[in-house]
Amino acid sequence: MKKRIISLLLALVLVAGLASVAALADDEPLTVALVVADKFGDRSFYDSSKAGCDKLAEDLGIELKTIECGGENHTAQIRNAADMADVVVCVGWEFYDVETVGPEYPDVKFIWIDNATSAPVENVLNITYAQNEGSFLAGYIAAAMSESGVVGAVGGEDADTINDFIVGYEQGAQYYADSKDTEIEVVHNYANTYTDPAVGKECAIALNDEGADVIFQIASATGDGVFEAAAEKGFYAIGVDSDQKYINEDVIICSMKKEVGDSIYAAISALAEGDDSLWGTTWVADMSTGYIGIGYGEEDAVQQVPDELKEEVADIAESIISGDIVVETTRS
Amino acid sequence: MFEDILKSIFSAGTFNQMLRSATPVALAALGGAMTEHAGIMNIGMDGMILMGAFFGVLGSYLFGSAAAGVALVLAMGIVVGLFFALFVVKFKSDEFIIGTALNTFALGLTSFLSRSIFGASGTKGNPALPTVHIPGLDAIPFLGQVLNDNSLFIYLTWLLVLVMWLFVYKTPYGFWLRASGEKPETLRTAGIAPEKMKWLASILCGLLCGLAGAHLSLGQLQGTFAEDMANSRGYIAFACVIFSKANPAVAYGAALMFGFFDAIGLRLQDYISSDLTNTIPYIITIIMMVYVVVRSQRRKRHAGKRLPARQT
Repeated sequence: MKKRIISLLLALVLVAGLASVAALADDEPLTVALVVADKFGDRSFYDSSKAGCDKLAEDLGIELKTIECGGENHTAQIRNAADMADVVVCVGWEFYDVETVGPEYPDVKFIWIDNATSAPVENVLNITYAQNEGSFLAGYIAAAMSESGVVGAVGGEDADTINDFIVGYEQGAQYYADSKDTEIEVVHNYANTYTDPAVGKECAIALNDEGADVIFQIASATGDGVFEAAAEKGFYAIGVDSDQKYINEDVIICSMKKEVGDSIYAAISALAEGDDSLWGTTWVADMSTGYIGIGYGEEDAVQQVPDELKEEVADIAESIISGDIVVETTRS
Repeated sequence: MFEDILKSIFSAGTFNQMLRSATPVALAALGGAMTEHAGIMNIGMDGMILMGAFFGVLGSYLFGSAAAGVALVLAMGIVVGLFFALFVVKFKSDEFIIGTALNTFALGLTSFLSRSIFGASGTKGNPALPTVHIPGLDAIPFLGQVLNDNSLFIYLTWLLVLVMWLFVYKTPYGFWLRASGEKPETLRTAGIAPEKMKWLASILCGLLCGLAGAHLSLGQLQGTFAEDMANSRGYIAFACVIFSKANPAVAYGAALMFGFFDAIGLRLQDYISSDLTNTIPYIITIIMMVYVVVRSQRRKRHAGKRLPARQT
């Protein structure tokens, strides 16, 4: 009996101790877990989110933990992240289960990049990007730079987000054809992988065989092969998500930028200042927010796009922001 | 429209891609044929390819030449082959588990090394293997376009197919190799240790799969490495091995077939959903396997018919 009382007392002390530790933890900096659907190293989408979080760690002193799903176990990894962090950033449309996992962790804030839940969840912030608007500009530039009148796009897979790029790209190219009274054909294919540059290269060569002389890559690391094909076969390529000009400035004429990292930075720094009004909503980062646009590389990079065309593109961007041009989308 | 489809399918581009896509698979299948003959079910080829792809780029990066990359790949291939044989032959572990472990290990090791050395983005634009121009071949209209100006390893593969075929079927070593898989006891009675042949097969497999990876990163691409870039080519190679009953020449044909369907799959995307074209390699695999089963059933039936006739 005596033993039992002692063990009960010890257990109580333990619980009290834990509770006080938990109370102390409130003064600790935010712990942010960054979970990406595939892997870092794509030089665009995931790396951009990492750069944003690294900047947060530097500026605000948050503690950063990263998880790479490598294309598997997305739901389990959301839970793992939620177990160890105050804010979980899920990067990729694959994390749709955040909608059901979110309510299980009421004290954790979630950010879901690249898709929107059907019904907003209180502690989940959906950030979705108007990639169709940026791609519209990319399509316009591609059409203007094309000599053959055929432009192409290599997509990672036949999925909504990728198709959102393609829809905008096609419309942009068509807009150029209509305004200049010429003909433009847009061809595209899907690599069905995000990690295989050799397949990306074959995809680009196949499009080049069909006559495409400007090709937009929307396929993460697979897209590296598109740049290689461009260098080898002598056509132009357009980068995606980050400003990819530096990879090969002779063939990459511009990049459609989707500043994932900057938008994560903005959301979390607002949270650190105590503003959580964004959570429970879907935030569409469109062209007016500045997180979507066209990048032409560093100032000293070789430029293929003439200045007049850049000005036209800037004007079109204005028209998209003001609503004069409405870009089609696959986002519901 | 139908004419357009045919035109895009039977273009020089399709056959060019067929050769390029088939070569890494074919090289790996040659290696897989060796272990298959030695009676080892080797599903670790995917990992071996991935390691070859990485070490090829690493050598090319460190020493500034693709030849050095290939040399490093050959050294790595021997080590991986020894490692595989150590567990499978010496310790008699389950080859299925060791193969799976090898694939997982290769993915982890190459990702770790790649990030430590090149950073998260991998590397690209290292010295690559040269393309070969055969003078005079251009004179032949269609064939010249397809067969000329390809990466070095595409031609090397043709040579290796011949060499491995001669090795397996025309040399005593090949005979012992096959015996070590089919009837190890008999081989032992003849005074040759089957284990030795299994070690040899593993090393050859490591070497050939390494070359497959080197072609992928240094031949097909310009010295580029991306994590997980083997992308299941090792499994396709395994299907080729099973289909060909480990005959190097037939395995090469099977790899070409996969390459061909890859190429037309890409070109058919203009007309059919990419989700469907993406399944083509797997449908081909199933058809091949059905063929293998039907063939072996028919042989059994023929053997059954012959048997009573002999007895009378």
